[in-house]
Amino acid sequence: MRTQVVSTLLRSRPVLASRVAPRLARSSSSAHHQETFESFTERYVTFFQSAEDLFEVQRGLNNCFAHDLVPAPAVVESALRASRRVNDFATAVRIFEGIKEKVENKAQYQAYLDELKPVREELGIDTKEELFSS
Amino acid sequence: MHATAALRIVRRGLATAAAHPPHAAAASAASTTTVSAASAIPLSNVEAQWASLSSSEQATVHQQLEELQQKDWKTLSHAEKKAAYYVAFGPHGPRTPVSPPGTTVKVVAGVGVLIGTAGLIYGGIRSVAPPPPKTITKEWEEAANERAKELKINPITGISSDGYSGKGFVTHK
Repeated sequence: MRTQVVSTLLRSRPVLASRVAPRLARSSSSAHHQETFESFTERYVTFFQSAEDLFEVQRGLNNCFAHDLVPAPAVVESALRASRRVNDFATAVRIFEGIKEKVENKAQYQAYLDELKPVREELGIDTKEELFSS
Repeated sequence: MHATAALRIVRRGLATAAAHPPHAAAASAASTTTVSAASAIPLSNVEAQWASLSSSEQATVHQQLEELQQKDWKTLSHAEKKAAYYVAFGPHGPRTPVSPPGTTVKVVAGVGVLIGTAGLIYGGIRSVAPPPPKTITKEWEEAANERAKELKINPITGISSDGYSGKGFVTHK
């Protein structure tokens, strides 16, 4: 009974704080968090390390390759290892196809291929050109 | 509760079996034949025959490849790798190209043939056309100029005016 009275009193009390117009916590457009390339790389490396099934890996690849940047070799390597983990060779080949689409010229693609040569040889991944050239 | 559910399932099974007895037998026979045929699908030439495979055969190929890809990828043969890539990301299903290969050549050739035909028609018509009128010559036009000056045509701003520098009736270079 007493608590009820107290609560009704509290409710009827004028709240001074809310009379002031609330200030926006942030301004409209320029306040978006800009992710750095390093944190992007780190985010996707951890994502692919924890991806558990093929759908998850392919979803991650879709998101990762949708940005206006070429994923770092570290991301590609963890994606390749993820596709090895979920036993999908085709996705591993597809990753290189995606890189070829994203880079600006052939020299950059070749640089990626050279950089990732150890992983490719370790996992036995061929690129699409190697598969369908002969 | 469980017993009645089981009974219902059994009854439905019996009912369907009674309704389509020859069908069911045929279906089971067909499935066994496809399985035996599907187990013999060679992966070396999947690209060529993929379109002609039935959906159950395609499913079998999928299964085969799934098992293959669990092995070490270095031990896979070139053909197996190709098949794995083709089945997953090859140009079939939603990845079928909008226009089949060779379309560009066809379009270019077709447009070339049309332009050539139009040129032939133009040339043919021109070859049987009468010569241009005798008034469209430089001599005729100069004579027309002289005649205009003689008759003092357009004396204020035109051909017979003082200090006229235009060409008059001459249109030939």
